[in-house]
Amino acid sequence: MHRFANPARFLRIARPATGWTLWPGLVLSLAGFIGGLFFVPADYLQGDSFRILYLHAPAAWLGMAGWSGLAIAGIATLVWRHPLAALAGRAVAPVGALFAAICLASGSIWGRPTWGTWWEWDGRLTSMLVLFFLYLAYIALADAERARGPDSEGRIAAIFGLVGAVNLPIIHYSVIWWNTLHQGRSISIVEGRSSIDPSMLWPLGLTFVGLTLLFVAITLMRMRADIARIKLAMRLQRRAEAAR
Amino acid sequence: MNPWPFVIAAYGLGIAAILVLLVLSWRGMRRAEAAVEHERERERAR
Amino acid sequence: MTAAPKTQRLLLVILAIAALAGAALLALWGLQGRAAYFVTPSEIAAGRVEPGVPLRLGGMVSAGSIAPVGDGNSFRFRLEDETATTTVRYRGILPDLFVEGSGAVAEGRLLANGEFAADRILAKHDENYMPPELAERAERATAETVAAP
Repeated sequence: MHRFANPARFLRIARPATGWTLWPGLVLSLAGFIGGLFFVPADYLQGDSFRILYLHAPAAWLGMAGWSGLAIAGIATLVWRHPLAALAGRAVAPVGALFAAICLASGSIWGRPTWGTWWEWDGRLTSMLVLFFLYLAYIALADAERARGPDSEGRIAAIFGLVGAVNLPIIHYSVIWWNTLHQGRSISIVEGRSSIDPSMLWPLGLTFVGLTLLFVAITLMRMRADIARIKLAMRLQRRAEAAR
Repeated sequence: MNPWPFVIAAYGLGIAAILVLLVLSWRGMRRAEAAVEHERERERAR
Repeated sequence: MTAAPKTQRLLLVILAIAALAGAALLALWGLQGRAAYFVTPSEIAAGRVEPGVPLRLGGMVSAGSIAPVGDGNSFRFRLEDETATTTVRYRGILPDLFVEGSGAVAEGRLLANGEFAADRILAKHDENYMPPELAERAERATAETVAAP
């Protein structure tokens, strides 16, 4: 478990991985967006407004996957006291918050021409908004905890990340448990089922993979920046002590 | 209702937001790592 | 016998997660009926809906049921689910996606005569996405199956 605990060892992987995820992520996302916007037939019922799907669905997945990451980082912090886990949590949270916000904004813009409303308080929309606010709370909490000093180990944020994970199944099953304005889910990987016609499916695969790679790339960049800042602070402190 | 203004608005917002966070994170990383490198050089010079 | 602190913490976290999941499940169980965004025609048919109370009604727009009333700005249509149908009256503009055979949500209240008076209509769509040609073909296939004895 502590194989990656050593920042030097982590950085040896993270440095090249930043480029490996960034460039394919950009290319695949762009290809998927262009495919979804211009190369796929319009939907029989919704027409062209359904094209927002290629941004909206991966953003929803990444908003939720990001919080799963926070929960895993929380377990690693609490159980193994893993030194990089709190740092990973701090790096993931703004990225997850961004994708949750993109999911909410694109969904709202999609709702106007299709449903006839920007916003309704149904189960899916409300639980997704709650996720976004949880991200904001996590960011504030983790920042405050970090400002208290390096010995707090991010335990409060870790607990909050675990508790907040309760919202994830609620988002996922909201369209099944309750009557919602939001439609049910189109793709089930477990059941291997898709109610999106195959001719419209390929750009969605590209944007799912592409945006996920971008998510990883941004997270790695933020982790590397954080490690560098900590390293610099430690060096400066050591020098100040040596000078005394 | 013409759907294209909505589609363009959704993609414009989303892509702009991702690029902004990407550039900010990239710059933050480059600056932080350059500062460490700079500090290491100074230490070695003494 | 004392386990390693790491194992103890792992057990503690697992217990906490289990307790948390249990609490969340209980809360959701209590919320089940109230978190619904709309009621269905069969709930109205079962007499579970009070007349006059503001609420939303959701269902499929029955085939061939949309009919203009009077000045052409008012409409009457039926919303159905698997077992029941409710007649809805509405005055105003219908959303683009409001079509027969597709989902819709009506905001308003139930009248004493069992009809639903709506102030606002939202179109609902399902999770199926397909090109128009394919939808047409599918529709023709259903029509042929229905027409065949």
